[in-house]
Amino acid sequence: MASDRSDSAAPLLAGCALWKQGAEARIYRGKFLGRAAVVKHRFPKRYRHPQLDEKLTRRRTVQEARAALRCRKAGISVPVVYFVDYTTHCIFMEDLVGSITVRDHIVTTQQSGDNPESLGGLADEMGRILAKMHDEDVIHGDLTTSNMLLRNGSEGPGADLVLIDFGLSYTSALPEDKGVDMYVLEKAFLSTHPNTESLFQQLLNSYTAASKKAPAVIKKLDEVRLRGRKRSMVG
Amino acid sequence: HRRLELFPEYSVTQMLFTDVKNAAALRKSAMEGQINGALINPAMLVDPFQALVAANKAVHLQKAGKMKTRSLLSEIIFNLSPTNNISEAFRRFGMSDGDGAVHVVTVHPREDMSDVDTILARVEGRQVPVGEISTFTDVPGIKKLYKVTPSEEKCGSLLEAVVCRMAVKDVV
Repeated sequence: MASDRSDSAAPLLAGCALWKQGAEARIYRGKFLGRAAVVKHRFPKRYRHPQLDEKLTRRRTVQEARAALRCRKAGISVPVVYFVDYTTHCIFMEDLVGSITVRDHIVTTQQSGDNPESLGGLADEMGRILAKMHDEDVIHGDLTTSNMLLRNGSEGPGADLVLIDFGLSYTSALPEDKGVDMYVLEKAFLSTHPNTESLFQQLLNSYTAASKKAPAVIKKLDEVRLRGRKRSMVG
Repeated sequence: HRRLELFPEYSVTQMLFTDVKNAAALRKSAMEGQINGALINPAMLVDPFQALVAANKAVHLQKAGKMKTRSLLSEIIFNLSPTNNISEAFRRFGMSDGDGAVHVVTVHPREDMSDVDTILARVEGRQVPVGEISTFTDVPGIKKLYKVTPSEEKCGSLLEAVVCRMAVKDVV
């Protein structure tokens, strides 16, 4: 049996504190050469066949690193990647200190009964950023409001949105793939945040206004909605 | 001087010199292994952090037995480059015989400053604080070489653009 590879990452992670644990990866916080950093460690999954696990884990790490650079080149905010260890599948990246997820922000805003129109600016910004991303033919693959961060102090107008978690991302120019990307977001959005149909529509309107290729994507989105939940090839 | 968190037995020391008179001799000494320092063209550096990142990656790859070049020092220079072409990296980022300024990066055991002392003794030039590197930086040259897009500059600093490319270039 393969040795416990998650231990090989231990020396690298020595100075860091475990922050979150997901099914896919553990997130640590620490310092990288003096800077506040987040380490995303995709640990070995022992329920998978070892060779398959290695391939999948490596692919996800690589895709995430590549997408980070492609997004930055297009002017989309994503955390700066400082260092990638392709042997242990650790990504060292910028820690957005004090940021909150869009999910938490929406939840808080709704709970406090605050003016829900303030979320309109956020919806506009989300639509714009996603339009930019799709225009670059980057498909995120896992769009949810938990995968969008608001930089510290930017909850008000002029929201500074940062996209994260590009492990399932890939390149595609097809409106079908972009439509599915948006469908995933719609499902996640509406199930996490009740009574936000009009907010999401505002997001779509902003998306349409920001991208010339949008009409084809929206058309596909409508088709997908009618079909029901579409499964992408990766399980 | 900075300790590498990931490799705590090492320290990285950076030194910046101007009015250098013996560039050619220094290069020769480095190539013959008499100086333990990577001699870098400071025009290609935005910030000492950039050199630190290059050194960190070099040490990591050396430990993993996966360096692309033949020595730790040449690996540091190679890591600075946005491309995977080794000779191009040396040409653009390494010091040239005619240079008047040089940025030296050395990786040494934590408490042992002997390599640093050797370098200080050998360079015929004036040492300036490493924080002043920006006075040497060729910003337009770097933007061109790293192909930094205008939209990219809106979402981050030039240093971030450079560091990101250094981290990702093996798979891009």
